Amino acid sequence: MKSQTSNQNSVAKISSTKRFFRTMVQQKYLYFMSLPFVIWIIVFSYVPIWGWLMAFQNYRPRNNILNQDWVGFKHFIELFSDERFYLVLRNTLAMSSMGLIVSFTVPVIFALLLNELRQQFFKRTIQTIAYLPHFVSWVVVSGIVTKMLSTDGGAVNELLMALHIIDQPIQFMAKGEWFWGIVTIADAWKETGWNTIIFLAAMSGIDPELYEASTVDGAGRFRKMWHITLPGIRTTFMVLFILSIGHLISIGFEKQFLLSNPLVNDYAEVLDLYALNYGINLSRYSYGTAIGIFNSVVSIILVFLANFIYKKVTKESVI
Amino acid sequence: MKKVKLGLSLLLVMTMLFLAACGNNSNNAGSTNSGSSNSGEEASLEPMTLRLASGDANPQWDNMQSDIGQFIKEKTGITIEQEFPVGGSDADMFALMVASDEYPDLVMPKGNVNKLVDAGALIDLRPLLEEHAPNIMKVYGEYINRLVHSAEDDSIYVLPLDGVGQTYFDAGGGFQIQHQVLEELGYPEIKTVKDYENAIKTYLEKNPTTEDGQPRIGLSLNGGEWQILISVTNPAFYATGAPDDGEFYVNQDTYEVIMHYQRPEEREYFRWLNHMNDIGLLDKESFVQKYDQYKSKIASGRVLGIIDQDWDYAEAENALKAEGKFEQTYANFPVTLDESYQDASFMGTGYLASYGIGITVDAKDPVRIIKFLDYLASEEGQILVNWGIEGQHYTVEDGKRVIIPEVLDMKVNDNNTFKKQTGIGNYFMSARYGDGVLDSTGNYFTTNFPDQIVAQYSEADKKTLAAYGKTVYKDFWPADDAFKERAYGAGWTINFDTASDANVIFQKSQDIMKKYIPQAILADPADFDKVYDEFMAELDKINVAKMNAEYSELIKKRVEMWSK
Amino acid sequence: MSTQKGLLNQRSFGDKSFDVFNILFMIVVGIVTLYPFLNVLAISFNDSVDTVRGGISIYPREFTLENYKTIFAYDTLLTGLQNTVIRTVLGTLIGVLTASMLAYTLSRVDFQARKWMSPLFATTMYFSGGLIPGYMLMRHLGLIGTFEVYLLPALLSVWNVFIVRSYIDGLPLALQESAKLDGANDFVIFWKVILPLCTPVLATIALFVAVGHWNAWFDTYLYNSRSPELTTLQYELMKVLQSTSSSTNYRDPNAQQAIASVSPESIKMAITIVVTVPILVVYPFLQKYFVKGMTLGAVKS
Repeated sequence: MKSQTSNQNSVAKISSTKRFFRTMVQQKYLYFMSLPFVIWIIVFSYVPIWGWLMAFQNYRPRNNILNQDWVGFKHFIELFSDERFYLVLRNTLAMSSMGLIVSFTVPVIFALLLNELRQQFFKRTIQTIAYLPHFVSWVVVSGIVTKMLSTDGGAVNELLMALHIIDQPIQFMAKGEWFWGIVTIADAWKETGWNTIIFLAAMSGIDPELYEASTVDGAGRFRKMWHITLPGIRTTFMVLFILSIGHLISIGFEKQFLLSNPLVNDYAEVLDLYALNYGINLSRYSYGTAIGIFNSVVSIILVFLANFIYKKVTKESVI
Repeated sequence: MKKVKLGLSLLLVMTMLFLAACGNNSNNAGSTNSGSSNSGEEASLEPMTLRLASGDANPQWDNMQSDIGQFIKEKTGITIEQEFPVGGSDADMFALMVASDEYPDLVMPKGNVNKLVDAGALIDLRPLLEEHAPNIMKVYGEYINRLVHSAEDDSIYVLPLDGVGQTYFDAGGGFQIQHQVLEELGYPEIKTVKDYENAIKTYLEKNPTTEDGQPRIGLSLNGGEWQILISVTNPAFYATGAPDDGEFYVNQDTYEVIMHYQRPEEREYFRWLNHMNDIGLLDKESFVQKYDQYKSKIASGRVLGIIDQDWDYAEAENALKAEGKFEQTYANFPVTLDESYQDASFMGTGYLASYGIGITVDAKDPVRIIKFLDYLASEEGQILVNWGIEGQHYTVEDGKRVIIPEVLDMKVNDNNTFKKQTGIGNYFMSARYGDGVLDSTGNYFTTNFPDQIVAQYSEADKKTLAAYGKTVYKDFWPADDAFKERAYGAGWTINFDTASDANVIFQKSQDIMKKYIPQAILADPADFDKVYDEFMAELDKINVAKMNAEYSELIKKRVEMWSK
Repeated sequence: MSTQKGLLNQRSFGDKSFDVFNILFMIVVGIVTLYPFLNVLAISFNDSVDTVRGGISIYPREFTLENYKTIFAYDTLLTGLQNTVIRTVLGTLIGVLTASMLAYTLSRVDFQARKWMSPLFATTMYFSGGLIPGYMLMRHLGLIGTFEVYLLPALLSVWNVFIVRSYIDGLPLALQESAKLDGANDFVIFWKVILPLCTPVLATIALFVAVGHWNAWFDTYLYNSRSPELTTLQYELMKVLQSTSSSTNYRDPNAQQAIASVSPESIKMAITIVVTVPILVVYPFLQKYFVKGMTLGAVKS
């Protein structure tokens, strides 16, 4: 009896290994098409991770990485006990959340509206024009925004006063609480056209027969949008959205820096700028690396969490 | 299929790279052939290329193509290839250099010297100087001991590039006020902040708008970007009798240190700015405007007064001059809080051995390099890099050197082209004398001297100066010898050790200052003291006392080192 | 038949007014987004001294071609242009092929390695070893001062992989299955069936990759700054655009001079135009690939 079971077990074991290799041979083309990239990514993305060791040392560039002063979690502790860290973290998350919501709603709506245009030439022209601000640098755009919101003949104030909505010009750029809103709107102005491209591409992948069929059923344009277009781009939308959640923490600092001034700095400074000022610029590579690790860990947790929730709800996975 | 395509693309790339490399080689071959044939007293004037990494960007670098560049190449056989920081900062550039452990022949590291020294990247120049560089030693003269790196390490790592024996012939700072304001008020005395305020107030009341109906602005500060230091906080110490020692104030007797805004006198200066805001003379956008907006306001001629340095508003003033609106350009005065103070802008420092050039451990021929630098430091070399080539850029009339008028015109009106074409200004790579020093022919080494300065004044400048009985603006300032020379040079040339906590405290103090100073100035006058007290409390909270004490130690060490 | 047609042709008042509103809205959008670009264009044609006075909107106040003349005198721009064009063309080809290939393999739910391979790639979007380890890696691989350094590290964009994958996921599985029945191996399915159906998304990522290569300058700065023959267009632009935002050394007379004679705004704008316009024409060219499911329908039948 015992020997029979053990025989069965070993037979089963051989089978599963054999099965593994058999499938591998079956799928050999898939492997050919992907393994080179695995090697590539290990070399270019994973190997440099040795740099993270710096965060646990008092890194001085002269010596080899293994030949350094080890300080354990000192830099992390310093980071988490700095008041300013929490301030910039708050600013970062606030602006990136607002940005995330706006950049996933406005471009979709814009794409839907573009699709409703019947004159192809007009549609293509507007598409092309709309993405132009993406190519104008933030230096220029921030200059334009500051001038438009200025109290010294700025367009926005002039307009509001002409419409008698206000009687004194408002110093928009001096109000910290409005900074987040100004950054979000400026970003929308600059990037919506560009962000629309991917949604338009996804929309063009929807089978036109679906639209024809629904027309026969008497569906109006909003019905079509709701029942065909939006579900049609759902996958693309969700993939982009969830992957973008991982970028909530690391949003760079260029636009916030350029739009800010000393009066609103408490609302404008973001984590990446803090890392620059207190890390690399002071030659504190270890501290800068520690912040980088913090960013990465939080980003990865956020993305996998979002994906997990998505998986639970829809049984599909983005990653 | 894809593999074939990929293979083809790689082949294409390789071919291109190969061709490019070939092209390069043929260029190199060319320059070898054109090597210098006159050997002079040197063993070999074989062409050599030196790589120089400069911490300062120089968009007008001419790649040895300028008049001077070519002359130097022929005379010494040396070709210089420069690298600059791009997009990033010089700190990045040198950090990467250290990390990769690969250095060019020469570096101009500015404030990054410590990084390089820590990494063992620079060689001690002393033995080379003593044996091969008589001209350099002559220029530095008695100040040679200021080139020493620190008390613990008496090597000389960099040759400072600031002019030795520099005399300042004019003042570019102070408080600026438009000529038309002074003229209308009959050229009143502008000595204290009250004088300044009254002049602006009176003129503004009489002329609230310009001819095209644009409202005039009393005083506009360049406080929206980094220039807040120049336009808002530095004037606080100038106006209260202290010299520029960076963000610190150093007691000249005890060498005790505090941050300059911790001085009670400076609180009163900021209170005056608060008052100016209260009565509506201060531009409300001072802390919001971008540099471009500030410049365009000045260029529109509406701003009656500014507090700035001439190089910061030069572009805007040039726009006014181009339109012929000279009466809307500015005169500058050393305004102080009250009569008891004297503007210490020109308090002596002795030779400020600060940013310089160093030779790295990777340099192939340090002896040849030091001899090259020595040539640039010689009298002939200095005249070359300052004045140019005789007959081409200047002539000698009755023993006096005169810049050729066309060249001078280009220098004043199209400085970028001037620099690129002639090369003047691109080759300050070695020890040299500053303004005001005479050479063996009785001419000045540099092209900045009193006659030149006056020649560059506009009619409006001359008229205003005449009304006050002065020749140059600097005449308003106290004489150079009104102050004792600072034994430590200037505070801003002293840096904390890279590993010190003081750096972090300093950065934090800057963040705090940028938050509270604008707040204090824009606050309701009744709240001013409250805000300023909070400012002081925040500074204490981050332990500036510790940083101040450390700085004090550094100053004392420097005094000791330089008094040997 | 005729009633059906009639139904389709009849457009309600609501429909028509929506169309009108839409067109008006789009016109406003067009104006608002065109403005910054026209502003840059206007300043680039404006006299540099006059530009300091500010207030230029969408047309130059004092027209001049001087700024462009100055730029075209920079001979390094030509080398930069050559390199950037080559890099963009090659890089785009490579980027599209690699992203789509990997996207296909990861879209196959039955792929044995998918479970570990997908997260392996995904996580790399959120971390980096840092500037210094990256630099040293390039050194060890001998990529410093080469043209390959522009192509090899940028071989694959994981972001693009996931975009293409989501698109492939939306394609009917039946197509792949029928091809398999016809005896095609995985590579052939990818090449002959999937790729042609993905034209809209491939056009999109082609645009992303192309723009990325076109605008790249930081890699030139890090790895090729000592190799002027490998310079890129944007790097040359950055060199001229030297911003003086570094506040640490304003007391240095050299820095002061640099600030006083800073590259005039007009020249900066002219360079921006020169560097941006070529890539702008790429999109209209790609637009024709965004045709609604035409290819899908064709293949189906």
